[in-house]
Amino acid sequence: MGRLKQKGKAGAAKAYVTRSSAVKKLQCSLADFRRLCILKGIFPREPRHKKRANKGSTAPTSFYYAKDIAYLAHEPVLNKLREHKAFAKKISRALGRGEWSIAKNLEDNKPVYRLDHIIKERYPSFIDAVRDIDDALCMIHLFASLPSNPRVSPALIENCARLTAEWQLYVMHTRSLRNVFLSIKGVYYQAEVMDQNVTWLVPYQFPQNIPSDVDVRVMLTFLELYQTLLGFVFFKLYTDAGLVYPPPLDSSKDESGAGVGAFNLRSANPSPATGAPKSDAPKISSKEVRQTIKNITAESSSVPSNDIDIDRVERIDSLLDAAEEEFVPQASKSDLDVPSSLPTLLSLSSSPKPSSTNIFAPYTFWLSRESSRSIFEFLIRSFGGRIGWPVSSGGGSPFAEDDEAITHVIIDRPVAKSDTAQERERRRRRKYVQPQWVVDCINAGKILLEDLYAQGKTLPPHLSPFGERDGAYDPTIGLTNVENSLVEADDALSEGSQEAEDVEMGSELEGDVTSVAALAVAAADDPEALRVAELAAEAAGVDYGTFEKEVQKKQKQQKHKHKEDAVVDGGGEEDMNKILMSKRKRQLYERMKYGEKKRATEHAKLEEKRTKIEKDRRRKARVS
Amino acid sequence: MQSEDEAEDEDQEGDDASDNEDVDEFPEIDAVSDSEEESEEEDTDDLDEEDTLDENSDADSDLHIFPKFRKVVSDITGQTKVVYPEIEPDYDSDSSTEDDPNRVGKIPMHWYDDLPHLGYDINGKRVLRPAKGDELDRFLQTVEDPNSWTTAFDQNTQMDKPLSAEELDIIRRLQAGENPDAEYDPYEPTIEWFTGKGKEEVMPLSSAPEPKRRWLPSKWEKQKIMKIVRAIRQGRIVGSKPTAADKKQQFYAIWNEPPSNQAPPLPAPKPKLPTNSESYNPPEEYLPTEEERKLWESTDPEDRERDYLPHKYPALRLVPAYDRFIKQRFNRQLDLYLAPRIQRVKLNVDPNSLLPKLPSPNSLRPFPNYKSLQFMHTKARVRCLSISSDGAWVASGDESGVISLWEVNVGREVKRWSLGSKVGAIEWCPRLDVCFFVAGTEEQLHFFIPPNISPAMLTMTQSTLAPATLPPATQSSIKWISASGAAEDGPVLTIELPSASGLSRQLTWHRKGDYLASVSSSETQGSVWMHQISRRHSQAPFKKIKGAVQMVLFHPTKPHFFVATQRYVRLYNLAEQKLLKTLMPGIKWISSMDVHPSGDHIIVGGYDRKLCWFDLELSEKPYKVLRYHSRAIRSLHFHPTYPLFASSSDDGSIQIFHARVYSDLMTDPLIVPLKILRGHDVQEGLGVLQIKWVIKQPWLVSAGADGSVSLWCS
Repeated sequence: MGRLKQKGKAGAAKAYVTRSSAVKKLQCSLADFRRLCILKGIFPREPRHKKRANKGSTAPTSFYYAKDIAYLAHEPVLNKLREHKAFAKKISRALGRGEWSIAKNLEDNKPVYRLDHIIKERYPSFIDAVRDIDDALCMIHLFASLPSNPRVSPALIENCARLTAEWQLYVMHTRSLRNVFLSIKGVYYQAEVMDQNVTWLVPYQFPQNIPSDVDVRVMLTFLELYQTLLGFVFFKLYTDAGLVYPPPLDSSKDESGAGVGAFNLRSANPSPATGAPKSDAPKISSKEVRQTIKNITAESSSVPSNDIDIDRVERIDSLLDAAEEEFVPQASKSDLDVPSSLPTLLSLSSSPKPSSTNIFAPYTFWLSRESSRSIFEFLIRSFGGRIGWPVSSGGGSPFAEDDEAITHVIIDRPVAKSDTAQERERRRRRKYVQPQWVVDCINAGKILLEDLYAQGKTLPPHLSPFGERDGAYDPTIGLTNVENSLVEADDALSEGSQEAEDVEMGSELEGDVTSVAALAVAAADDPEALRVAELAAEAAGVDYGTFEKEVQKKQKQQKHKHKEDAVVDGGGEEDMNKILMSKRKRQLYERMKYGEKKRATEHAKLEEKRTKIEKDRRRKARVS
Repeated sequence: MQSEDEAEDEDQEGDDASDNEDVDEFPEIDAVSDSEEESEEEDTDDLDEEDTLDENSDADSDLHIFPKFRKVVSDITGQTKVVYPEIEPDYDSDSSTEDDPNRVGKIPMHWYDDLPHLGYDINGKRVLRPAKGDELDRFLQTVEDPNSWTTAFDQNTQMDKPLSAEELDIIRRLQAGENPDAEYDPYEPTIEWFTGKGKEEVMPLSSAPEPKRRWLPSKWEKQKIMKIVRAIRQGRIVGSKPTAADKKQQFYAIWNEPPSNQAPPLPAPKPKLPTNSESYNPPEEYLPTEEERKLWESTDPEDRERDYLPHKYPALRLVPAYDRFIKQRFNRQLDLYLAPRIQRVKLNVDPNSLLPKLPSPNSLRPFPNYKSLQFMHTKARVRCLSISSDGAWVASGDESGVISLWEVNVGREVKRWSLGSKVGAIEWCPRLDVCFFVAGTEEQLHFFIPPNISPAMLTMTQSTLAPATLPPATQSSIKWISASGAAEDGPVLTIELPSASGLSRQLTWHRKGDYLASVSSSETQGSVWMHQISRRHSQAPFKKIKGAVQMVLFHPTKPHFFVATQRYVRLYNLAEQKLLKTLMPGIKWISSMDVHPSGDHIIVGGYDRKLCWFDLELSEKPYKVLRYHSRAIRSLHFHPTYPLFASSSDDGSIQIFHARVYSDLMTDPLIVPLKILRGHDVQEGLGVLQIKWVIKQPWLVSAGADGSVSLWCS
């Protein structure tokens, strides 16, 4: 006989622990536990049998895997948190006693934890990390736009702003932006990085305030993790793209509000042609120095610094093409290096790109002051265009408003009445488009006609590039049904008007029409009866056109009725067959049917609304 | 104040100070100092009045607390120095007593409390106690005299004396937390005694020789320093730790080394991508109507389908900030770390494929699908009905005691009997050679012979009901009473059940038509009786039975007997007198039951809307449990010849099933729902109370609580 099994020694009772017991086991505060869970990515589990997991109690509790908690117990961060607790005690004591030097000493030796190992654990491969940066990007973009307060330090905000700029630079450099969606919540961007779709949401540029029902500590803990994660991811992305990370910041430009333009993208190995061994490292570094000096001088000659690499890539492309060489002036000595650096991996990897990533390459844009520079600079430069902006939107514009090269003006205000001659001349030469044009072009992957989006025009609807789920209502192709019903409605309308006229003329005809209609109903399916009805109609003096119409109408009605009958019959049958299903299957079936029905009603509602809108529009058009 | 002035004067004038001092001594030239004082006083203290000031000034000059000093240039050093007046041991030591008229000295003044005088003056004369008013006077004095608040009680003279300006100044200084001494200057210039050119001490203070340690570097210090230096050189002591600026995160290629072979944790589910309705400029059909907007606003944020309302903006510049942005980010984070995650397999199946594959009802015709005629009982709900064995007649009984006999084909009433008490059950005798039916009422069973039957059959029936040879009557609580005389209008035969047995709820015939089982509604033991017509004998088959009996049934082929109590169905062998099986349908409570004509299957219906199909060969648990009625099941019936059965319920509907039973034991019976018949009204929570199939026809007769009996034809 085997050993007797004791209760609570195996199975769910052993595999799960409640949160309070986990906290007790780890000997930390609940806040520390939460912090650990956030950092380590440990979340509660739903046991299959709550009662078994909770020693027979069914009280609502959250459960964690016991193994997860055991694994937390060995976490170095937990030790650091304990050290921090001791530190907090010491420093409060020192401050209370007014021992400032001791307090300062303590503060200098404050325990600080690093999250490198956690990043490595949570994301064993780089792809895992890239797959999971969506939330991180959203958060840093949000915090980059927050005002600082006692909880959110300016340094934190600055770091977030730096990370966002680095990410944007990377996306612009690699041309990996794919979709953009202007929503009411903010701007959704989707980029393809390492074959992963990365989607992030950026709020519109307005001051945000943290609402009182939001726990900032939780957000800050997440942000801590996200900053580290993004740092490592960007490091890898930059180094893989052959760039120096972190990109050096030009502080004078930053102060003038240049935004992304304040960073220099610098390639990690500026002169691969030398092929020098490691021994002459100082030489390379001196070269690098010279290169940077050159870059700086180039910047001063009114070319944005971070364009340099992009420009260079373009130049390589153009040299490859060699036929149409639309060359950017600014001949510098760095050009001499370019041919030698042709066959690098960087240039090879950057050349085969879908053409849609370069759609704005032939154009030069001017951004008028009311459209957001942070959005459109990013968009246009991600798709190869050049963009300038007035000083009011920040410094660092590569060209002025009166530049001859400008082809498009992104403008978002109503058309002004008074135009100077110069203005008119400009309007003739440039295309004035509303901002949505840029986004729709990007989503369509080609340049759309500008006329629909011209300044002051009512814009066509802006649709989500991410698509809806299968079978959902599609506003672009739902037209056929709508058209039919519209035609019908028109017919009804015209008939109505005609009938009204008839009534005006005299009501004698009316009775005939209805009687004919009655005949037609009978005649709907029988050709012989139809013939009879036709004759009767002729005898009654109804003209053939109205008769035809009447018959068609009746037929349609009857068809409709048949359909309804069929639906009713079918529905009843299905319901009856449901009797014989098992409970589980029946519930599943009912759930599926419920969902189906809900979607169908949603679809129908949208279609109905659309028909109504179209009808109104037509009526209005007819009236006017 | 005065002295301050003087000090200033002295600073300016130097040697004239002594003259000034002299001036102060003489009371005759008081005018100057007075005027000076006055101006000073007014600057500082506006409250004081002039006459009091005079007195004060007089008193001041006499009552200096701190001795006055002069600054003179020292003959020796050439510097100014402060010179205090010489203290004369006789008087100056305690000059305060000098002018005091009372010369008793510092003695406890209460020694004089009982005396009319206070003490003695310098001449040895008594100093009389000053007149002292009562409390009221004193109060009035304080009110009238504006200076009373600057006076203090003097012990020596036993009267209030005004405080001098200096004393007031001291009080003010004490209040302000300053040094009480007006002359004290905390920022006096340092006087360099020994530094500076020409002031160095030339002579040594001690003649001891200079020790070596004054000019030799310390050996021990050197050793200590060398120890540290060595530690630094060896790297044991590291220079100052990196500060916060240096601690900035250094990133490195963390993914360069190959990943561990452990599976990565499951990535968090990504949020849904935005759809068209979230656009700042959506197609117009996405915009909510007024009702939708109201509905959205009235629902709780957790219950909303979408967390935003679609809105259309004519231009991008008009799009405002999204006010729930941070909140939604926060909710996402809560989801990430607080929500349990379950991996669900997403079913991508057509829901219709889940439906069981059943033959179409159209291929299983005939079955009743429409109401062909309706027979109305005017007064009360119809509890029971029965169809004759030749399938031509229906007898239906209602709660007012009326039994109607009518034709199935046309619905014409042929005869009506009124019994005066509720009719609970009606059953035709299944024999084909006789024609009569039994109706159960309160504690009675009545046998009726329908009119217009062939004479041969009539005689046969009469002889059956009144057998010629009867065994000797035994002592029994049940009486068989033959009707005498007018047999046309009343029951031919009546069985009197024991009293208090209540309404006979159910009657059932053995297939041979000789035995009749009745179930009464009383909860007592004797609710089941078995009556033998040929012997006119009744007996109770069970001495004792657990639970209230709901229904009994004879097995169609074997001498078996089904008894349904509220929870269980028991199968007894009547020949061997033993329990064969207990079926456990798990129903609360059983309302009805029927046996398949083959005898191998029974169906049991319950008040909890369930119908159980039992295969008697298979198990004691139901083979299938169906729940499709929305109210209690009232009646079940298998068609005797067609593969059909029907159930009726309190929801007013009748459900027809196709039920094919195969002789092959391996094949499961096929149950196909065919049709739901609706047409009976629900009254007081009761719907269709009984259904019966017409023998040889796929027709169904149903009795409803609305007083109608309907015939449903195919």
